[in-house]
Amino acid sequence: MILLQNSGIPIYQQIADSFREDILSGKLKQGEYLPSIRSLAKELKISVITTMKAYEILQEEGLATGVQGKGFYVNAQDTEMLREQHLRKVEESLGEAIHAAKIAKLSGEELQEMLRMLLSVDES
Amino acid sequence: MQEFESVLGIKDLTKKFKDFELNIGELEIPKGFATALIGENGAGKTTLLNCLAGTRLDYKGEIKYFGKYVNDERENPENHVRESIGFTAPKGFFLQHWTVRQVGDICELLFAKFSKERFEQLCGEMGILEGNGWKKKVSELSDGNRMKLMLATAFARETKLLLMDEPTSPLDPLMRDKLCNMIREYLEKGQGESSALFSTHNISDMENVTDYCVFLDRGKVVEKGFVEDLKEKYVLIKGEKEDLDGIRSAMFDVTENRYGFEGICLAENLDQLAGVRLSKETPSLFQISVAILRQNASVR
Repeated sequence: MILLQNSGIPIYQQIADSFREDILSGKLKQGEYLPSIRSLAKELKISVITTMKAYEILQEEGLATGVQGKGFYVNAQDTEMLREQHLRKVEESLGEAIHAAKIAKLSGEELQEMLRMLLSVDES
Repeated sequence: MQEFESVLGIKDLTKKFKDFELNIGELEIPKGFATALIGENGAGKTTLLNCLAGTRLDYKGEIKYFGKYVNDERENPENHVRESIGFTAPKGFFLQHWTVRQVGDICELLFAKFSKERFEQLCGEMGILEGNGWKKKVSELSDGNRMKLMLATAFARETKLLLMDEPTSPLDPLMRDKLCNMIREYLEKGQGESSALFSTHNISDMENVTDYCVFLDRGKVVEKGFVEDLKEKYVLIKGEKEDLDGIRSAMFDVTENRYGFEGICLAENLDQLAGVRLSKETPSLFQISVAILRQNASVR
């Protein structure tokens, strides 16, 4: 996990983002416990309250559940919801691409051509 | 994040001096976290820590330890209250002619749960033992090494609460970093049952280990809260000089220079800044602290 001190994104957000990615990608599996807040704080050299806040975000998003005295475990991922999350991410990224294409004065056709090209490279 | 269990509960604690009065109405120190006590020189940090540590007993009011033991019950050996508290003070309380080895021997006699192995390990890690360190007298140690020695004796005990008065002041940057790690390790080992409370002026150095903050000014608590909550309550604002006059009254604390201004605004007042071109950032604990202390100082 790489935490940036001056990125403008709060540390707790960066931690939550990192775990979210691991959970959504399946790297962290259902029922698996996240590191305890105090051991994570120790490893990352940050305060306990910062890690706690990160875990609270994951809990609010329904990705993890906190158990008093035991810590946080990864929730079962609703495949429907998971797909929805991934779709949203694709949409977001495509939106960014469209924005960049506009700045570069790329036409819609040229952008589609580029996407087709990249897809064929990816498949081969 | 407002609710928490307390390791220390303070109620109407007062201690009067000729020209100073400590007066803490109600203050809870959260269990399982690191709490920083922040305030100007003479704000009452040391007096408060001495009352909490039991090195000063001539105060009025109530201190509840570990959520259950009040006043006299602290002294009942069956409750192990004193045994569960580690304390370090800036001047130290080892006799000047004791050697480092003797300090270890004496602590072993004084404290039931003192690990000499851990003490030796800590002294080694902190570099007190270089040369013939064991034979050095307390009076021969530098200020930094004397503080390290005291920290070694405190961390070598099995405790549930560490009270540290200005532990960072005499320490070099490397050792401050090490102390932060030691505190985090201590909290981790306690699994939510161990707590640390320290006073400090080195807010930036300690920010990454601080969970909860208590701000003292002239003997009174003027602000307190979890750092992450304070960082939402206070917002760092930067703007152009000509815009300042219109919004000055909405700012909590502000400093200006020839080109612009910078200051702290309460999040609840942000809407009063609407329409003005400003940058909004999350302040560091240091920036929050300066604003709070300055605001209280200027009331004088």
